[in-house]
Amino acid sequence: MAGRGKLIAVIGDEDTVTGFLLGGIGELNKNRHPNFLVVEKDTTINEIEDTFRQFLNGDDIGIILINQYIAEMVRHALDAHQRSIPAVLEIPSKEHPYDAAKDSILRRARGMFTAEDPPYSQAAPPQACPQSFCEF
Amino acid sequence: MAAPDLRAELDSLLLQLFQDLEELEAKRAALNARVEEGWLSLSKARYSMGAKSVGPLQYASLMEPQVCVYTSEAQDGLQRFWLVRASAQTPEEVGPREAALRRRKGLTRTPEPESFPALRDPLNWFGILVPHSLRQAQASFREGLQLAADMATLQIRIDWGRSQLRGLQEKLKQLEPESA
Repeated sequence: MAGRGKLIAVIGDEDTVTGFLLGGIGELNKNRHPNFLVVEKDTTINEIEDTFRQFLNGDDIGIILINQYIAEMVRHALDAHQRSIPAVLEIPSKEHPYDAAKDSILRRARGMFTAEDPPYSQAAPPQACPQSFCEF
Repeated sequence: MAAPDLRAELDSLLLQLFQDLEELEAKRAALNARVEEGWLSLSKARYSMGAKSVGPLQYASLMEPQVCVYTSEAQDGLQRFWLVRASAQTPEEVGPREAALRRRKGLTRTPEPESFPALRDPLNWFGILVPHSLRQAQASFREGLQLAADMATLQIRIDWGRSQLRGLQEKLKQLEPESA
């Protein structure tokens, strides 16, 4: 049974946000906060974290797209998010290619085969993981 | 559940998990490729339109989403994301006959359009005649959105598989503590 329609939010650099808004995900009206945030040089980490938490706590967001280098700034908030909805997808940016080792979802999956999920800053190199999975 | 049955279920879950992870990585590679294509097209558009002509300064002050995700429960009980694209609303066209009829009846109150703005293609934010590269960028990011919905579904499956695997491993430890 289909539920209510949810929005796709995006937190990223100018090109990423412009691109996905061109794709048609943008919502902005007088009564509601926008479902996007353009992160510029002077955007503070607090602003990013506040916006991210707002997207997480709102029940109208189904997917959050976030550049991985921005996700790194709020990694603690990402790691604490255990619910399946909204889904958080990390995407690359022009200056920072995607790194699977930093992705929260993949680190959790990798943690099944090594020690309990370590925080990224304390992550030890994977040990004895299946070959096909180590390719990540 | 007996230990051999548990082990068989564990193996099956593990194989499904690896399959889902592989599929997730394939979708991710495709999404990254679409996004990179989109950036390149945006850069080309910026080259032809001007450096400041494609950016936040052109965003509309009112936006209505053309794309939404719907969640539904699949047969296995897991949530699945569906991307739905809203069609643009076209204003009612009044032909000559209808206009004459309306005049005959006198001033009739035509129904007011709904209070939300009609869906407007975001391409229109950047001008009436936009370069082909901007349309290509839009197409790339639209494809990326579909891939994002598929990836979100796979992430839910992977999280579920992970928690199921942990549960079964715990049960197995209780049944066979000496092998733990």
